[in-house]
Amino acid sequence: MPLATPLAVEFDNVTRHFGPAGAPVRAVDGVSVGITEGCFFAMLGPSGSGKTTCLRLISGFERPTSGHIRIFGQNSEAIPPNRRPVNTVFQDYALFPHLTVRDNVAYGPRMAGVDRRTRHAAAEEMLALVKLSGYGDRKPAALSGGQRQRVALARALVNRPRVLLLDEPLGALDLKLREAMQEELKSLQQSLGITFVFVTHDQGEALSMADRVAVFNDGKIVQEGTPQDIYERPRTRFVADFVGSANVLSPELSARAGGPARWTSLRGEAVALTAPGAGRITGTVRSLRYMGAVTRVTVATPGGDLTATVPAALPLPAQGATVGLHWPADALHEMEGGA
Amino acid sequence: MTDTAQAPATGPLARLSDQFWRRPRLLLVLLLALPLLWLGLIYIGSLAALLAQSFFSIDEFSGLINREVTLRTYGELLRPANFDIILRTVLMAAAVTIAAAIIAFPIAYYAARHARGRMKAAFYLAVMLPLWSSYLVKVYAWKLILAKEGILTWAVEGLGASTILNAILALPVIGGNSLSVSYIGTFLVFLYVWLPFMILPLQASLERVPGNLLEASDDLGATPGQTFRHVILPLAMPGLIAGSIFTFSLTLGDYIIPQIVGNSSRFIGMAVYQHQGTAGNIPLAAAFAVVPIVIMGLYLWMARRRGAFDAL
Repeated sequence: MPLATPLAVEFDNVTRHFGPAGAPVRAVDGVSVGITEGCFFAMLGPSGSGKTTCLRLISGFERPTSGHIRIFGQNSEAIPPNRRPVNTVFQDYALFPHLTVRDNVAYGPRMAGVDRRTRHAAAEEMLALVKLSGYGDRKPAALSGGQRQRVALARALVNRPRVLLLDEPLGALDLKLREAMQEELKSLQQSLGITFVFVTHDQGEALSMADRVAVFNDGKIVQEGTPQDIYERPRTRFVADFVGSANVLSPELSARAGGPARWTSLRGEAVALTAPGAGRITGTVRSLRYMGAVTRVTVATPGGDLTATVPAALPLPAQGATVGLHWPADALHEMEGGA
Repeated sequence: MTDTAQAPATGPLARLSDQFWRRPRLLLVLLLALPLLWLGLIYIGSLAALLAQSFFSIDEFSGLINREVTLRTYGELLRPANFDIILRTVLMAAAVTIAAAIIAFPIAYYAARHARGRMKAAFYLAVMLPLWSSYLVKVYAWKLILAKEGILTWAVEGLGASTILNAILALPVIGGNSLSVSYIGTFLVFLYVWLPFMILPLQASLERVPGNLLEASDDLGATPGQTFRHVILPLAMPGLIAGSIFTFSLTLGDYIIPQIVGNSSRFIGMAVYQHQGTAGNIPLAAAFAVVPIVIMGLYLWMARRRGAFDAL
């Protein structure tokens, strides 16, 4: 039995309530999860699901109403944010507008009492790491969104945090830049070996970057696992819906199509179009959505709509045509819960 | 002749607004004409006239104004009696400004960062309420409060702290027979009357400091004291400067408070008042009046050089 990898952050039945004690808003409701050291951990969920509050509980800006948060095994309740071995990349970067880029990056070392020459050298090194060499003398206002994002990253990393918290850091960037930054963040995390805790509402981002994903809903973690687990084996209808691109089949529809009489999920890629009557179920084409590499064909069947993802090379049916749908028996994935 | 589809302008108002839309500069000129005329002619004009007057001099025997350009009147300012007035006024204005900043900061900080809803409304009311009553009423009220037989002395006696008050009054220069006839009294009244002018701009500038900057500073390992010094204070500086311009220049120019509360030593405002009135020495009054303008100019120039407006 190998030794367990040490936990960087551990939530032990953590609850955070806001508002009056009589009718509290349960922002975080009984969350227990362990984040292993060196892991890229994504907290995924819709807005208001508690993921950002969880991040703020780690950084210390919020304190748990009950439960414990351990950072490297140490109970964190009594430790203020400025003495935790974590740093945050804020959602809108929170760069100091009155300081130059260099002084922004050197802020942490300066507060720690590092002398001017050393901290400026450290700042330049970090700026080089995020490919912003030569920008040190500018003010944040003179930078583009992507550049500000890198400065925020450099400002956090210069402190050599053991855990880096990222609060939707790519949310304000356009698609192209976002994809480039996703790759850079991922490779940065791998080369530095720091634990990243990444909050996002973008399932594509979470699945493509993270080693492990926790899906949040209503202040609870509904599923935690590898991206493959989450995508291929969603535990509940919420996860299947939120992570997207999977069909959710009611027990009746599943049974009608030859599956178990349970809630099941079925990925669009697994569904093939056939001649009417030849597949597991027959229906009429309701709509076609051209997505470039694939086209999503939504078919109305007696038990509800099903969507097939058809690669660009294959012929497409006309809208209103009657088609059959077929999938391998093992493509149906059973989920928990009746309702 | 018109075969276009759009609705024709109906009525003179509609035609006028169409005209403005087509020629936005016309609207700008019309809007700015009156205020520019006021500012340019009446305000700047009278300021220039004042400046010009200060370069004239007065004939000491006849009391007539000699309209030859000279620096003699400014030389008068350096005479010990006059220079004392300037020094006294500047020191008082500086003391009032520093004290106002120290008192206003926590109040403004609370209002900007913590007060919500009803508390915020209560804050505005509390700060503005004194401004609703007459300035003279407030000053005379303070004279009564600070008088030897006044409520403050009475309260201090009731608390058994008379020795402390007497020790303060026994201080050289700033002490006196009672608070109402001492520099401390003048200072307290100035502080009270001008405090709202420090709180309000300070509160406005603190309100504009995003909360996540304070969190970021905290996150990067700064202690609360370091966050105050390196983030809050620099970002609040424009408000602090704006407030200090108010308290400093209002104290420099006031001539009523030192007449009513204090030991009747003269301040710049009183000197201007007396020289242009009873003494009839308009050039010296003008020269005195230029002093606050020069001091404020120097102050702003220094503040700018020290980077006080960088966060703007």
